[in-house]
Amino acid sequence: MPTFVDMMRCDGCGECVEICPSDIMHIDRTYRRAYNIEPNFCWECYSCVKACPQHAIDVRGYADFAPMGHKVRVLREKEKGSVSWKIKYRDGRVKEFTFPIRTTPWGSIKGPGEYEAPDPKGLSSPLLAHEPTALKVAALPTLASVKD
Amino acid sequence: MFSSNPFTLLSQSVPPLVMQIYAILMMLAVALGTLFDLYHKRSWEFFSLRRKRAEAAAQRQLAGWQIASLAARTIGKEVLTSGEFCKWQRQASHLLIMYGFVIYVVTTVLMLFVYPRAARTPSPVTALWNIGALMVLAGGLWFFFALKVNVAHEKQSPFRLIRADLFVGSLLASVAFGLLWHLVQTAHKVGAASLFLLACYILFTTLLFVSVPWSKFAHMFYKPVAAFQKRREEASGASDLPAPAKTSNIIR
Repeated sequence: MPTFVDMMRCDGCGECVEICPSDIMHIDRTYRRAYNIEPNFCWECYSCVKACPQHAIDVRGYADFAPMGHKVRVLREKEKGSVSWKIKYRDGRVKEFTFPIRTTPWGSIKGPGEYEAPDPKGLSSPLLAHEPTALKVAALPTLASVKD
Repeated sequence: MFSSNPFTLLSQSVPPLVMQIYAILMMLAVALGTLFDLYHKRSWEFFSLRRKRAEAAAQRQLAGWQIASLAARTIGKEVLTSGEFCKWQRQASHLLIMYGFVIYVVTTVLMLFVYPRAARTPSPVTALWNIGALMVLAGGLWFFFALKVNVAHEKQSPFRLIRADLFVGSLLASVAFGLLWHLVQTAHKVGAASLFLLACYILFTTLLFVSVPWSKFAHMFYKPVAAFQKRREEASGASDLPAPAKTSNIIR
């Protein structure tokens, strides 16, 4: 079920282009709106569907095996940390689901580049990056401390 | 420059009636271009079909005051503040272009139809004409060189022009040549450079208004209608999007 973009809703912000792991969301050269350049290569990860702030990206099956108008729509709410799905089945039934996606505020997680560069001396240490602080312990046991 | 009417000096060589007829022709071009666009792209058919589907899928009927409230909220958010943009840079750029264009067009019409031969045009009008054009240039150049999605996200050259650039490109060229012509005309009266800049100004202004069926000029009429329809679908329960989550999962 590849994605497709409703060009009436797309405002050409480029969020889907940035997030697509398959690099198949591109910008149309006539209207400057997003489109899926190769639906066959779509991983169906729904990253673009969830990221689109205009809800302009829908998902639909190929007409040969899903010809009866099913629909999958997604609403991601950053401020609530939730993602909701509305599934319309081919027989007309509609079901809605809501799931939590995170419990910390959006943007509160530091990226790797925001941490201080590690000390080169750390290469000779048995500890991994950010240990032991990231594990929220004072110190990790070492061979020397175990022998003692 | 900020206190002079560029069309008063021009009226010494071109009768104001000719300028007024040109302005009316451009207004007609926008009206006819939009109607042609509605017919040729079948936009009217699309909107009608979508409205009928939404009415059929509606779970509740909206009262008159609810529809009026939705219209007021659409005007307040999507129209007056360009609130549909998710990035503040694009919103700011759009607001500069939109309000600059409105000010520029209104003052142009005032100068052409009210003060074409006036000994002295009120300085707020002439100043606003310049300010409007500068606002369009500031917002438009920001968009053109930094915010266009193919430039910002696909790292293409801003000079790689596509059909979507027809509107913003002709608008920028029109106001830029208009300002340059006014500047040169104010400094040197009528000369070869002034005539050349005037010709460029007329060329790109004509292109801006005549190219409506192929450019995105008509979005200023479509977008508010589409935004209102979206709000109406959400309010009547006809939207195909899931209902918003009832609780927040964020732990603060």
